[in-house]
Amino acid sequence: MADLECRDLRKAYGGHVVLAGVDLTVPEGTLTAILGSSGSGKTTLLRIVIGFVVADGGTVSIDGKLATDSGGTHVRPDKRAIGYVAQEGALFPHLSVAQNVGFGLARAERKRGSRIGEALDLVGLARGYADRRPHELSGGEQRRVALARALAPRPALVLLDEPFSGLDAALRGETRAAVLDALAGAGATAVLVTHDQGEALSMGREVAVLRDGQLVQTAAPDTLYRTPADLDLARFVGDAVVVPGVAREGRVVCTFGTLDVRGDAIAGAVAVMIRPEQIRVMRSADAGGVPARIVGLSFYGAETVLQMELADGLGTVVAARTFDSAGAGAGDDVRLLVDGPVVTYPATDAKREGRGVAATPTAS
Amino acid sequence: MSRRSARRRLGVPTGLLGACLVAALLVAVPVVVTVVQAAQGGFSVAGTAIGSTSTLTLLLHSIEVAAAATPICAVLGVGTAWFVERTTLPAPRLWAVLVVAPLTIPPFVTSYAWANFGPSFQGFLGAAGIIAFSYYPIVFLLVAVALRGLDPALEETGRSLGLSGRGTFFRVVLPQLRPAIYGGMLLIVLDALVEFDAFVGLKFQTFSFDVYAQYQLGFSTSGAAALSLASIALCVILLFGEARLRGHANYTRVSQGARRLAGRYTLGRATLPVIVAMAAVVAISVGIPVGMLVRWFADSSQAGLSSAGGNLTYLFPATLTSVEIGVAAAVLGVLLALPIAVAAVRHRGPVVTVLERTMYLSFALPDLVGAIALAYLASHWLHFLYGSFVLLVFAEAILFAPFAVVAMRATFGQLEPSLEESARSLGSGPLASFWRVTLPLARPGLVAALVLVFTFTLGDLSTTQVLLPVNLYTLGTEFNSNSSTVAFAAAAPFAAVLIALAVAAAYLLMSRFGTVRALATR
Repeated sequence: MADLECRDLRKAYGGHVVLAGVDLTVPEGTLTAILGSSGSGKTTLLRIVIGFVVADGGTVSIDGKLATDSGGTHVRPDKRAIGYVAQEGALFPHLSVAQNVGFGLARAERKRGSRIGEALDLVGLARGYADRRPHELSGGEQRRVALARALAPRPALVLLDEPFSGLDAALRGETRAAVLDALAGAGATAVLVTHDQGEALSMGREVAVLRDGQLVQTAAPDTLYRTPADLDLARFVGDAVVVPGVAREGRVVCTFGTLDVRGDAIAGAVAVMIRPEQIRVMRSADAGGVPARIVGLSFYGAETVLQMELADGLGTVVAARTFDSAGAGAGDDVRLLVDGPVVTYPATDAKREGRGVAATPTAS
Repeated sequence: MSRRSARRRLGVPTGLLGACLVAALLVAVPVVVTVVQAAQGGFSVAGTAIGSTSTLTLLLHSIEVAAAATPICAVLGVGTAWFVERTTLPAPRLWAVLVVAPLTIPPFVTSYAWANFGPSFQGFLGAAGIIAFSYYPIVFLLVAVALRGLDPALEETGRSLGLSGRGTFFRVVLPQLRPAIYGGMLLIVLDALVEFDAFVGLKFQTFSFDVYAQYQLGFSTSGAAALSLASIALCVILLFGEARLRGHANYTRVSQGARRLAGRYTLGRATLPVIVAMAAVVAISVGIPVGMLVRWFADSSQAGLSSAGGNLTYLFPATLTSVEIGVAAAVLGVLLALPIAVAAVRHRGPVVTVLERTMYLSFALPDLVGAIALAYLASHWLHFLYGSFVLLVFAEAILFAPFAVVAMRATFGQLEPSLEESARSLGSGPLASFWRVTLPLARPGLVAALVLVFTFTLGDLSTTQVLLPVNLYTLGTEFNSNSSTVAFAAAAPFAAVLIALAVAAAYLLMSRFGTVRALATR
């Protein structure tokens, strides 16, 4: 297995910049998730790494060996020893499961068949699947076979392009776990491309967020979630409540009172970013915190999202998640308390959003 | 921008681009030679040839036939394809065979059969009718493939938006079939403009007759060549027109999620009328030539086979020669068409489009002129090829290569590019990926292309007559020499074997290699 290093990758299609200088390092044996909305350039990045697309500039090195640079080096995709799991699996419909998995093996090894069995074991598929045809498999099984096929030739690096798209929620979780197990079992260095925040945060050792062709932040999932580099990013990786505030000496004063600030403190007018799960909703009037009134309520089963208007004279509406909503209804008076430190951003960010308006979380 | 980055942006692999270039250049040989010949004659010859009023009249005849027959082909092709593929018409597979059957009947056989009906069928009516009913299966084939690729969810969405069944057909289905319909119509128009074989039995004179006359009168190739320039110019206009009509239609299906098989619409009380209409089409397109053959056979048995008996000794060697030419031309034609078909689907861009269109140029050349051009080339510069089997095979292959391109493009278009990419990522080179993944999956299209080129080569007359090595004879030439002396009874066996061969080839190839067990992964 090997590490992957991309330096200053650039790509434009007819004047439209898709990648504007991307630096990415994936340490050996780890999985990095590249998170981006559609059109962010994440698929292009993946295709440059594997060699289907030639970059306009920059370098890709795999295990220290140069695969692509602007000086004319361009190792062919089939010479890169990169495992690739395409969207929806892309199994060869004319071949059986065993023939699919054995496709990338040398003829002798393919005939022996032991590696095919090993690869099926890795992804947790019974060997009885070997003779089946792709169309006889469920969506989740197809993804697993696609991964087994990619892992069978013992690639230096595995790339997964939205490998769980089109699977229903239950199958998604199960397939995700199987994929993580298989990658860990193979000790593979992997890059996963996805637009799903939950998928990126739960699967990546590191998550790299791509926006408008640039990596805005590359960090461990909890760092990314707790201290996003900017306000847009904060909203992209999770739900966020944003209110204006004034910061001084590592604390910030806002409509929720005086709060601790996580990370770099800025002085002066700031935008305060609070995660909805930090907001504790209390029914009793003497519990402290700031007063608010429930104006909306969305029930999701385990959790309930409450919309509440603060009694701050500005009519600020914030959302919070609660796991105990029994008896709560619109019009109820509650008190809100913010748990843990918050993140602040320069106030210009908040102004652009309008005065003190909170983002509305959506249940995922 | 440097040359290197220009190539990169284009994205066509060098090897494939090279193969396309070679194929396009080879196919364009007759056109280039024709232009050279026309230029050698100078302006005066070209002027007299093109400027004469009879030429203009005959050119107008050709345009009229093309204009009348092509829309009929479109209606017949789309209609039959819709009923066979998407309705509860009984025995759809049998109907599919019957509808495609006219392609296996050589145009010159059909021509003599129609002519036999009397003088009224020997004019414009016969000419347009023969073209319409002989070539509508081309539209049928292309549209049937397109119909199978349609996502039924689109029709359901149409219905949910309040469209009637008829409204859905015209506003949802038909627009999606447009590329297939235009592609088929283009082939038919080009063919009709320069058709010769299909009119041999008629008294109706078209543009190709004029070319033929120019050639026969003075053995002046430059006059005929100059005339052909007119048809090439027409062809270029049509190619541009078709490209504009087609617009940005994308051939590659970009599907997401599971695709269900399209359902069939219940015909109900319309079943009988539809069967009658389909039967009428088949009766005209297949019944007339086959029925006429049967009659000629009957005549020959009455005549006691005396006249035919002598000819029958030629039957076996003629069959053998025809098969040899047909097989060789099919293989060569498909090989020439393959890189263009792949590039046209996978690497669509201005360069590839131009190369693809070049394939049609030779098609727009009157067969006779193309053949003469090749003979001229061989006699002047490539003497070892002159009068050789190879030259004839080459001529047939480049003549029918456009059909192979069209047939293969449809199947390549339905293959997800991610399949080839997966193969590449697993260590297979471009050629190995093509061999191990693309080719097995595209087999139905490949087989269809082989059958088409084989069948058309069997049914070709003009090119064969010009380039056939002196000691050889084919089923087509034997049929023609007998039927020109109005010895139809003697000609009939040759036509019967021709048709039987084409049917057998289609059946054999389709049943043995034409199916892929599971085309749909999802």
